[in-house]
Amino acid sequence: MAKEFHELRDPIHVFIRMDSDERNVLNSRPFQRLRHIHQLALTSLVYPGATHMRFEHCLGVMELADRVYGVITSPGNLHKDVRDIIPENDDKKRYWRKALRMAALCHDLGHLPFSHAAEKELLPPEWNHERLTVDIIRCDEMREIWDAMTPPLKTEDIVKLAVGEKELSKFEQATYSPWESILAEIITGDSFGVDRIDYLLRDSYHAGVAYGKFDHYRLIDTLRILPKKIETTTSTDIELNGDVSDDEQGALLGIDEGGIHSAEALLLARYFMYTQLYFHPVRRIYDIHLKEFLKLWLPEGGFPVNVEKHLEITDNEVTVGFLAASRDPSTAGHIPARRLVQREHLRLLSQRNPDDVKRNPEAARIIYEAACKEFGSESVQIDVYRQKSSESPRFPVLKGDGRIVWSDEESEILGSKLPILVIESVYVSREKLTAAQKWLAKKREALLDVSIEEDI
Amino acid sequence: MKRIQRAAILVTLAENLRARGSWCGETHIQKGAYLLQELLGVPLELEYCLYKHGPFSFDLSDELTSLRADKIFDQEKQPYPYGPKLKPGEMAQKARELSPKTLAKYGQHVTFIADNLGDNDVKALERLATALYVTREGISGDDIDARAARLHEFKPHVPLDEARHAVERLDKLREESEMLLAA
Repeated sequence: MAKEFHELRDPIHVFIRMDSDERNVLNSRPFQRLRHIHQLALTSLVYPGATHMRFEHCLGVMELADRVYGVITSPGNLHKDVRDIIPENDDKKRYWRKALRMAALCHDLGHLPFSHAAEKELLPPEWNHERLTVDIIRCDEMREIWDAMTPPLKTEDIVKLAVGEKELSKFEQATYSPWESILAEIITGDSFGVDRIDYLLRDSYHAGVAYGKFDHYRLIDTLRILPKKIETTTSTDIELNGDVSDDEQGALLGIDEGGIHSAEALLLARYFMYTQLYFHPVRRIYDIHLKEFLKLWLPEGGFPVNVEKHLEITDNEVTVGFLAASRDPSTAGHIPARRLVQREHLRLLSQRNPDDVKRNPEAARIIYEAACKEFGSESVQIDVYRQKSSESPRFPVLKGDGRIVWSDEESEILGSKLPILVIESVYVSREKLTAAQKWLAKKREALLDVSIEEDI
Repeated sequence: MKRIQRAAILVTLAENLRARGSWCGETHIQKGAYLLQELLGVPLELEYCLYKHGPFSFDLSDELTSLRADKIFDQEKQPYPYGPKLKPGEMAQKARELSPKTLAKYGQHVTFIADNLGDNDVKALERLATALYVTREGISGDDIDARAARLHEFKPHVPLDEARHAVERLDKLREESEMLLAA
């Protein structure tokens, strides 16, 4: 008799269990492609252990999504004001659990080679990996899998949960019920999305940095669906003008107050993982060199958005491309390829610091433009990343006395402003670094004290 | 428009809204910036889409976070379930000092928006901005009822009569803004 359930070993979650429908997804071309997409792009050039792939991350996200679903729908954990958003019928509950697991499994199908490293400038406007994910979930090959299931899963349900309301709204009209919003939040949520939980744990494990670890078992056990609307008479001003609209009948994913310390640990883990690993300056400049290479090497200077063409290209094809280009000066992209392969990456000249920003909020751009003039734009690069609004989330906390408060009211750690992450780094070629350092030491003050001549 | 110039406009908008008694949360800045850009043509270069509560710019939302990192904006936390209020930060004046021409050119536009939105709650802002969205969409033409129906289609929680009221209010603002733009 054929097995109905299958188990995979995983270094983070020990066992990941899946049924035969899920295994069919795992065996599909789009999912197998993820075996060849590095989770952390070229990070292994800096942290040699970070060679893990999107493939195992997606399995981990499915496993965690399932655990969260079990906790938040458990009758004993349901807040009285949100019971009506949860399906009463057991068949419906089973359907949505399955849809959630599938969406979690498929949430990264649209990733480009080397994941995020090269996404922004190498896709047409209004395209990103989420939009490609949606197209893949809707493609004929995947629809056949959804349709063959008992009961069949609706493609659009998987789409909604896999990418979430925010991303889907960027390229098509999207309306989510409160229940669908909560399920999507389980995967993509800013505070407790299992995508984030898994990548912190997994990246930390493979890179060999301990910062990403936190007590996710406790955190998941204390997750709760909490109502957005509460009875309040705090202030007439708030009632009339507060930043909550009149269709806020829904709910948010929050925690029971017993989980506040594990939530603090999650947010601190994220902060340290960003500062120590994801924003490592050498890691960042390799992403830039990879992007430079791809712009020159790819036909038409960007990635295709056609599903079939997308499925044909992985890290392997790109790696073969830059290895070859690094050896042949006549090949498009030779210089950035050499920077990648022979470790001739640009060197850090200047990083954002509070004194510069106080003097001039445009400090990095001013230094970059002046350095380009002085040393030639081919020898200088700027890297800018500013934390997204979604990366500084607050979430509701259910107190023992039944009140619901914001996390930053409840926790001094969460309330005491973790810095907003901003990268503004200027790099210069290795051979010009010493001269550039001397030049900047001499010119810095004069550069930053000049007011900007606007052109409007 | 350079980032610092946009920051100068946004922080001046916040200051003007607050001076007129606005709650001045993110929704107020979002809708104020939308009207500045789409009604008055101020080139903020923000991309808007129709989201839960009407036109919304994810770019702007991210920008407001990074402007807090630069201390150009600051926030005042509020009790659950309300979002924080926004206010000028300690570097707001620096942003304005670096953008005198921008503020000279668009200062009146900011005042116009603050005068008209300063006493609006989020519900009114959502309706007004969505009325502008459906008007710009052009599908319903200039007909008030057709635009109100379209607004109701997008936002079923907004009753038809209130949708109609929002469209009428928008048309009045359009008329008044034409005078400002002609001046």
